[in-house]
Amino acid sequence: MKQTFTIGIGGAAGQGVATPGDIFAKIFSRRGLHLNAYNAYQSIIRGGHTFLTIRTGPERVSNMGDRVDLLIPLNQDAMNRHLGLLTDGAACIYNADTITPGVPAKGALLCPLPVSKLADISRNKVAQNTLAVGAGLSMMGIGFQSLEEVLTEQFKKKGDAVVSENVGIARAGYDYATAHFEPFPWPLPMTNNRYAVLSGNIAMAMGGAAAGVKFYCAYPMSPSTGVLHWMAAHARKAGIMVRQVEDEIGVVNMAIGAAHAGVRSMCATSGGGFALMTEGLGLSAMMETPVVVIDCQRAGPSTGVPTKTEQGDLWQILGAAFGDYPRVIAAPLDIGDCFKIIPEIFNIADRFQCPGIVLCDLLLSEGRLSVDPKDLDFAPVVDRGELITSVPSTSGSSGDGVYKRYKITESGISPRAVPGVPGYAHTAASDEHDEDGVLISDEFTNPTKRRNMMEKRMRKVTGIEAAVPPPVLSGSRDADITLIGWGSTKGVIEEACEILTEQGIPANHLQIRWLVPLHGDAILNILKDTRHTIIVENNYSGQFARYLRSETSYVPNGYIRKYDGEPFMPHHIVEAVKEQLGGKSRLSVPAHEILV
Amino acid sequence: MATTSSTPAPKINRIGLSVMEYKGGKTTLCAGCGHNAISERIIDAMYEMGVQPERVAKLSGIGCSSKSPAYFMSRSHSFNSVHGRMPSLATGAMLANRNLLTLGVSGDGDSASIGIGQFVHLMRRNLPMVYIIEDNGVYGLTKGQFSATADVGSKLKTGVVNDLPPIDTCSLAIELGATFVGRSFSGDKRQLHSMLKAAIAHRGTVMLDVISPCVTFNDHEGSTKSYKYMKDHEEPLQDINFVPYFEEIDVEYDAGTTVEVTMHDGSRLRLRKIEESYDATNRIGAIQRLLEAHDKQEVLTGVLYVNSTAPTFIDLLNITEEPLATLPESVTRPSREVLEQCMEELR
Repeated sequence: MKQTFTIGIGGAAGQGVATPGDIFAKIFSRRGLHLNAYNAYQSIIRGGHTFLTIRTGPERVSNMGDRVDLLIPLNQDAMNRHLGLLTDGAACIYNADTITPGVPAKGALLCPLPVSKLADISRNKVAQNTLAVGAGLSMMGIGFQSLEEVLTEQFKKKGDAVVSENVGIARAGYDYATAHFEPFPWPLPMTNNRYAVLSGNIAMAMGGAAAGVKFYCAYPMSPSTGVLHWMAAHARKAGIMVRQVEDEIGVVNMAIGAAHAGVRSMCATSGGGFALMTEGLGLSAMMETPVVVIDCQRAGPSTGVPTKTEQGDLWQILGAAFGDYPRVIAAPLDIGDCFKIIPEIFNIADRFQCPGIVLCDLLLSEGRLSVDPKDLDFAPVVDRGELITSVPSTSGSSGDGVYKRYKITESGISPRAVPGVPGYAHTAASDEHDEDGVLISDEFTNPTKRRNMMEKRMRKVTGIEAAVPPPVLSGSRDADITLIGWGSTKGVIEEACEILTEQGIPANHLQIRWLVPLHGDAILNILKDTRHTIIVENNYSGQFARYLRSETSYVPNGYIRKYDGEPFMPHHIVEAVKEQLGGKSRLSVPAHEILV
Repeated sequence: MATTSSTPAPKINRIGLSVMEYKGGKTTLCAGCGHNAISERIIDAMYEMGVQPERVAKLSGIGCSSKSPAYFMSRSHSFNSVHGRMPSLATGAMLANRNLLTLGVSGDGDSASIGIGQFVHLMRRNLPMVYIIEDNGVYGLTKGQFSATADVGSKLKTGVVNDLPPIDTCSLAIELGATFVGRSFSGDKRQLHSMLKAAIAHRGTVMLDVISPCVTFNDHEGSTKSYKYMKDHEEPLQDINFVPYFEEIDVEYDAGTTVEVTMHDGSRLRLRKIEESYDATNRIGAIQRLLEAHDKQEVLTGVLYVNSTAPTFIDLLNITEEPLATLPESVTRPSREVLEQCMEELR
């Protein structure tokens, strides 16, 4: 088992759960520790309940894990909800003035802080949070210096007095814990690495910037809004035109308009907004204008649960826009991959002049992960495909009048001229059209031409398949269990496999990143050697299982599904696998123990 | 301008093109359709203004009106969107390439019904483009249902009477921020011609609602968008005279009866008042007069509102002179250093 340490901070929205979370995250990542953070929250500005989990350790931490080592409840509600999560060796730091603890499990430690004695709570309303951070770090064996640094940065804008007040409070908590509480059995180590802490939304936005996106537009929608925020904040610096548009219909069409004029353009939304975009997606396909659309999935249908995660949009994406058309659909596997996938999908969308869809979800979009910037390519290869932005110098003349925008070619790709290039004027239309762009929807309707154009566009599918690598199996080929997942569940399935293998059930793992093209034959080739396969996904009906079956006729031995709005924890999968190996069930739906 | 010569050389405009260079494909619309007359006026106006056809991007939505860009200016780029979505497409295209001269052709269904959300937001932006609604109050391609610009009480051929008030796209456009708003009639050749030339010279959103009778579905007795109704009810506000910047001004005008507006490019728009009290530079007055016209069942035509000094969307966004679309990647893609700085914020 790898060594990790998890802090859970619970409280009402507006009580300042995020700040201690950010402080811990900064301290961990600066010590060269990896971390993964997930905030379970509600669609409310003040009140309600939120629970932030930060898991850290010297090795890569890919998910929220199974256990809470340190609980910091900021109010009674949080204490009541979560004390039961603590097991032997865990501790709970709380404000003894306002919170009454319950009875903890055997071996779990209660650490009451006499908050009003340690700080002037009339002056500082979040004193309990700062005291708890100080106390926690003391128990983790982390020197006070690192906390002082972060607090100084955090409050320097507010002046020296505020800095020293907060450092003083933190110090009081730190010293009190040193004197009164037993430290955790192993101190958090340090490494020479220095990670950045990214959300999936920031990663996708930066991936877009690296890919050369020049136009980004969006309508705010949780959990995709973080992309817009990064873009708006960095528009000048990164040279990107960023617009907030009236609705997602406007968003997708504006993005297509800009793309059609010749720039790389991108937009992000969630399932509801994507539903409005599907009409425009068809336009992009018909006009063969590349555009990249990100869907950050949340729990649906309809408004659903805007602050909860799900992998429930797969079939919406697969069925988006009527008619047949080539497209590429990818699901990033983790937050670092959110960055990498954007330049990749742009190159494919540009080369094959088709829409590219990124199917992300709240877990990645709003989760936080330590990423080593060295692992990210800030100058990825940009392949704009066959794009004509000026009169080619070799052609000599401009207006030879023979340019055919939708020229029938073997690859199905027709050189794309942007508007305004002399000699390359053409009609681009949502109607079916001939090679030269003339509409064949009214008096020129012609079955032969229609067939030729359909076949021309669809021939691009072969090229897309060749451009996208097939999935690979991770772990030993020789395993009793093969877990199959897609997108954001990679980290948690990986850890479940490790635990199963350690417990004597050798497990390996197939994670799907490219949903279209799927590479069904390669998948079947991998799966033919497996003993017991289980598809793990975060939705009710097994959307990926149904998709895999429709593409390959493959039926797995079992299914693990979760649709309560919260992500999988490793033990959910481990226990479900054991249950299924015992022949008790073919479908497991683990219950989520953390109530938020 | 070309001079008369003994050989019948075609006349050419100031950039050396004959009017033939502005023609389009053969129309597939019904004979007598108002839209065809509008296409002809566009050809004449573009020719006379000496617009380079390759600079023009024609955009449209869906419907009879939206087919018409195929019938003028074949040398220009053309872009048919899906139904009602041309405004956002045009916005995206203009932001990526500000050098385009954007001409949108839409209809009353495309703009006032399915596309009303897009339409109102386009008007707010004052994006530099010419937006024409070819308005016949009826859906042609789906065989004659009322649109949202049909007047209360107007009657379909089938006898169905419209029971809802019309959306006045002109008063909406004025209220929301369009800076050149006019209404005309496809049968009023002179007025429409001058108005289109002024529209090409204007910088900002030009919204022209052109009543364009549908000879097949809405040209009968009881229709308020028929040729006959327009002949009886059209109330021109002004006599429009447009003098492009490249032509000498040889006639003085009477400041008492004529308002002169200097356009962004130096062209002059002269509005000789027919209705004395009407001031096309007064936004509130324009909206009030339009409301009155509805009550009196008049169809006011002419330049309803003009503001030649308001900043456009492009001005507000402070976009580089060189279009984003043609800037080299080395200029527009953030450098490795910039991205490293952004990453540093996250450590």
